[in-house]
Amino acid sequence: MSAFTQTFAPISIADIPAMAADRKASGWRFVQVLAVNTENGIDLVYSFMKDGALENFKVEGVTKDDVVPSITGEFLAAFVFENEAHDLFGVNIKDIAIDFGGNFYALSQKEPMTVISPAQLAAREKAKKLAAAKAAKEAKAAAGESAAEASEASKAADMEAKLAAMDPEKAAKVRAAMEAKAKKEAAAKQAEKDAAMEAKLAAMDPEKAAKVRAAMEAKARKAAAAAQTADDAKGGE
Amino acid sequence: MGKATVIPFGPQHPVLPEPLHLDLVVEDEVVVEAIPQIGFIHRGLEKLVETRDYNQFIYVAERICGICAFGHSMGYAQTVEELMGVEIPPRAEYLRTIWHELSRVHSHILWLGLAADAFGFESLFMHCWRLRERVLNIFEKTTGGRVIFSVVCVGGVVRDIDAAQFREIIGTLEGIKSDYAKICNAFLKDTSVRNRTDGVGYISLEDARALSMVGPFGRASGLPYDVRSLGMGAYGKLSDFQPITSTAGDCYGRMEVRAKEVLQSIDIIEELIAGIPAGDIAVPVKGSPAAGAEASMVLEQPRGECYYYARGNGSKYLERMRIRTPTSINIAGMTTALAGCDLADVNMIILTIDPCISCTER
Repeated sequence: MSAFTQTFAPISIADIPAMAADRKASGWRFVQVLAVNTENGIDLVYSFMKDGALENFKVEGVTKDDVVPSITGEFLAAFVFENEAHDLFGVNIKDIAIDFGGNFYALSQKEPMTVISPAQLAAREKAKKLAAAKAAKEAKAAAGESAAEASEASKAADMEAKLAAMDPEKAAKVRAAMEAKAKKEAAAKQAEKDAAMEAKLAAMDPEKAAKVRAAMEAKARKAAAAAQTADDAKGGE
Repeated sequence: MGKATVIPFGPQHPVLPEPLHLDLVVEDEVVVEAIPQIGFIHRGLEKLVETRDYNQFIYVAERICGICAFGHSMGYAQTVEELMGVEIPPRAEYLRTIWHELSRVHSHILWLGLAADAFGFESLFMHCWRLRERVLNIFEKTTGGRVIFSVVCVGGVVRDIDAAQFREIIGTLEGIKSDYAKICNAFLKDTSVRNRTDGVGYISLEDARALSMVGPFGRASGLPYDVRSLGMGAYGKLSDFQPITSTAGDCYGRMEVRAKEVLQSIDIIEELIAGIPAGDIAVPVKGSPAAGAEASMVLEQPRGECYYYARGNGSKYLERMRIRTPTSINIAGMTTALAGCDLADVNMIILTIDPCISCTER
């Protein structure tokens, strides 16, 4: 039993006949040809299989002016896919063994798979911009965080060194004073945050504000309950 | 030799469940050349991938074909999972494979019925479809649907099958087996059936290889290729799997391969049910396929190897989804089989490749 593997390799238009002849001579089975519509033209993917190995050869950026040689001389079954690439994508393929000249698919629209609607284009642009903005934000946050962490760590290390050099009693007093200062600062920050939220709520529609208040209270209750559970668990241990 | 005449065949024809057109060039009732044309049922489903996210498209994929519906949702999900590096739980792999093999059983029995109808054996057609109903009942009980199941998701499956349902499935399949043996006798031994199929639409092993034929169509000419033998997913857990082949290369050979594959699929289902592991049926899948990421996959559908390709663009919408169905690649073999046949055998030959035009055009 051979295991399934797959590979993708780039080739040029000029390499297609040699690639097909080589696959044929080495006993590979033709699987398919597909086309992908991209901003740089059409990408063609030729697939072959042998003993569980699926090889995909990719020709990138084929334009309407390019002439692509047919592989039906080696693999007759490719005529279906080459006619399809012509009818649905407008790829100019020459010397197809059974060439329908654009009439293989009975379509009402010429090259329907290359049509990109304005809405679709806008959606793609938006998705791209969002992805780029997200990546930039993440990179910035990562850089800022690491810098802040480094400066905080170096400050803490300096203080620790100073405290170690001090008289132990004095050092304990300094530590207590520092903790009290940190608590005071946290409380001030929280009060500032609460005041900002109150201002926001006051500016809101009263019904919506009531809903937000209820949600905040529920969240606070949940957090308190979780803290209580954690304390109980610690006590139990 | 008489004068060459072109006879249009289809797209509407009693033997064709779906629209396919052939220009048959005939001389003295003998087909010299057959030129196919498709496009009467092209729905642009591959194009839809640009406006449906990769989770939504699974429901489009399974609507490509009413008979291979489950296979398409499974093949599509496997390709996206490959694209995103997702590994599904073993129980989900087993469940998918069990449903997929049940689909093969119903597809082959449906085809046998159509074949019986094509050579004028009406009662045999009805017996086949009566049996198929019992497989559809299994689908209804385990998935809620008879044609479209919607049980596959990217990351696994959305429904489990419990032990009681497995026992019921085994009981139903055992019942089908005994009735099926009688039907098989008619297909494989009846003189009138053999008169209609022996030596008709012959394709040699060399031609089958050169024309890249797949599925029972290729295996009937002795080509031992079956994607299941690559051991992907739960197929790798089977104690043994050998593709069923025939050396006949004609309509009879194609019927023989499909008839035997029904019993093989039932054996596979029973073995998988006996060894199905407990555990989760899906893993959560988050994020989107990376821009430019590509993956391809093959799956053995009832009609043969189906190729799937997906390309990501960094968003939840895929850049391209390609489904190359078995009938598309077998069209070349079909035209070769038709060349040189009697005009009266054209319908039989077309039917024995089990063409699915909805799949082919998508």
